Amino acid sequence: MLADALLRSVAGTTALLRVTTATADTNMSEVGLLPTNFAEVTISPVLMRKLRPTWQEGGQSKWELLVSANGVEGQVRALDLASAEALFAMTLAVTVDGQDYLIESIASNEAFGTVYLYRLLLREARQQTV
Amino acid sequence: MQNAKDSFYMVLRARLATVNPERTILLRGAVRPGIFVEEAEAPMSQLPNDVFVLRWLGLGTDSVLPATMAGEQCEIIYQTCGTQSFGGLDRGRSLSEMDEELLAMIAPYHTPKLNFTATPPATMLTQVFWDEPAFAPIVIQRDQLSRSATVLVYSYQEQGE
Repeated sequence: MLADALLRSVAGTTALLRVTTATADTNMSEVGLLPTNFAEVTISPVLMRKLRPTWQEGGQSKWELLVSANGVEGQVRALDLASAEALFAMTLAVTVDGQDYLIESIASNEAFGTVYLYRLLLREARQQTV
Repeated sequence: MQNAKDSFYMVLRARLATVNPERTILLRGAVRPGIFVEEAEAPMSQLPNDVFVLRWLGLGTDSVLPATMAGEQCEIIYQTCGTQSFGGLDRGRSLSEMDEELLAMIAPYHTPKLNFTATPPATMLTQVFWDEPAFAPIVIQRDQLSRSATVLVYSYQEQGE
């Protein structure tokens, strides 16, 4: 709850997790012929912050998404998943303010044995053909 | 060329399911044999352990022949940290097991070429064939052992491809 309040107080926003839905496994889906079904899961409140960049030629910016554990837990229950990790494992991309990001790594902050915040290290996704 | 790549993957997948049915992976909500094509899945920052990952790299063609022959380089990557019950101390054995599985599923070195855009897949006129895998040395990253094997996959370009 405190994490929610803190995230909201610093202009917390909403992120959309694009997750794969359970589909019948077919030959075609395994070789990239059949489009996978996606669902968008809304997580709130979240906060995006740009990490201090170590500049590299052609390197991409990295971002950290601070996500309220309450918001994640709500979606984990709604989707009947085993854990938040299962939700992140199903996530193909994260959309914040219309920009897609790919998850590089996930960490969590705990207090008294309970996770109150997830920290997702993200990088910008490249433009895909429409 | 895409048909050759698809056929190669599909035959390895089917053979792996026979060689070791317990080697599976949960991907996109489905449990599948523990092998996948990297370029046909979501980008991942770390490759999963204990499965085979097919990565397509080089390409060469020979158009002097009556039909153009394409040779594509496929890197098969696999890595393991061993099992929890052995505290990871069996990671060497686990990698050896995967070496043997790869050798078992790569032979015989040919398969009919199929067109997977049709349902059911349509058998084409030629075969896809490949040479023996070239195993790279083991790469050790702390508690993880990984190896890659490179296979050159050949196919003739048929009409309409």
